[in-house]
Amino acid sequence: MANTPGTPEPISRLIEAFHKLPGIGPKSAQRLSYHVLRMPEEQALALATAIMDVKRRIVLCSVCMNITEADPCAYCQDSRRDRTLVCVVEEPLDIVAVERTGFRGMYHVLHGVLNPIDGIGPEEIRVRELLERLKAGEIREIIMATNQSLEGEATAMYIQRLAGPAGVRVTRLARGLPSGADLEYTDDVTLARAFEGRQEI
Amino acid sequence: MAERPRTYKTEGVVLRRRNIGEADSIFTVFSEDQGKFDAVAKGVRKARSHMRGHLEPLTRSRFLIAQGSSLDVFTQAETITAYRGVREDLDRGAEAIYCAELVDRLTVERQEHRDVYELLLDELDALDAGCPLHVTRLFEVRLLAMLGFELQVDGCATCGSRLAEEDQLLAPAAGGLVCPSCRAGAGAGRRISPRAIKVLRFARDASMERFAGLRVDAGLGRELHLALADVIRAVLEREVNAGRFVEQVARLPASHSVTSRDVQ
Ligand SMILES: [Zn+2]
Ligand SMILES: [Zn+2]
Repeated sequence: MANTPGTPEPISRLIEAFHKLPGIGPKSAQRLSYHVLRMPEEQALALATAIMDVKRRIVLCSVCMNITEADPCAYCQDSRRDRTLVCVVEEPLDIVAVERTGFRGMYHVLHGVLNPIDGIGPEEIRVRELLERLKAGEIREIIMATNQSLEGEATAMYIQRLAGPAGVRVTRLARGLPSGADLEYTDDVTLARAFEGRQEI
Repeated sequence: MAERPRTYKTEGVVLRRRNIGEADSIFTVFSEDQGKFDAVAKGVRKARSHMRGHLEPLTRSRFLIAQGSSLDVFTQAETITAYRGVREDLDRGAEAIYCAELVDRLTVERQEHRDVYELLLDELDALDAGCPLHVTRLFEVRLLAMLGFELQVDGCATCGSRLAEEDQLLAPAAGGLVCPSCRAGAGAGRRISPRAIKVLRFARDASMERFAGLRVDAGLGRELHLALADVIRAVLEREVNAGRFVEQVARLPASHSVTSRDVQ
């Protein structure tokens, strides 16, 4: 698709590059490329520099695997946080959501979840790094905050089985109905779990 | 192929999910009356999606689907069986995911296979009910047979001669057991014990319930697992991804339950 006859080579290359991004089809890739072509030069340069900086200046925190400019990251350097408690999340962005709850423990970012059919096993995500942290002995509890999907649940159970023998308490977030959920449309598993987690009012 | 109506109802088991864009997912379903197909669910990754839980992989659901120009679109989904016993147990979940991948890889789109559908439900029901994990061996043997790869386990797959009750060679390329005189031309194979051969025959003939009741010790279970993995690898000409996961889970320390936690 990119090599439409007559398309100058630099444009074809840009179309190709956009097409590799998630959720970008051939049409969108073409549209974005021609948009870049019409951009003022300084805007295009700013975009290019931002992309380069992300690659050159952002690293993974050697402790928690979060993305950071300084290693260890701000959370891992903060001495006021509870170091015995680690919240395990799928992606760096999940930390932002957990922070909003007021949680002030430590984090571990897996960078994905187990997805056996797609060939994503424990070696493809940051499980080994979590086990290394457990060996140091400071951590008393890990809170699994993976999604409530089949993959997220499998990941939580997998880590629980691995961490169990280390004497670490493994918990997971309570599962229930999302606010605004309509009982009529709620699936059986979600509803059954919400019942199990019911609370006095 | 007959023209499909603009919207249609079907039931099936969700085999897998691929996320696309911001909030959509494509689900591969193995259905009762149309075999395998892909369809997209729009906005299904939003917390308030009505269809979310009903389209989780390994769920048996009823669907209302609208025909799309490139991909059909789920408009409604309602769970028939959620198989909670499967999704909340890692060993059972791994087996079920493996079976889902096998069905996905071995079948072609929009080809009705009610026998395969029934077999998949039998397997999920058995795992959900807490049957021993060797039920997957019956699933493999029967699935192969239903899709035209029946394993020859009575006589020699090449010359048909009777086989003595002793270790035999299982040669995937030859389609089953081969006698000593045919071995030269049968390609690679694995030695298999008379005990394991009997279980393979039983898997071909028995009901899931009777097969689940069979006593299979760890050594025999391993032998059968490896033998069938050879056959499946030969048929697919590749590894089954989830097979590796089943092995990784089998090597884990035994389970204790995860404590639920309320965040205040
Ligand atoms: Zn960190
Ligand atoms: Zn022979």
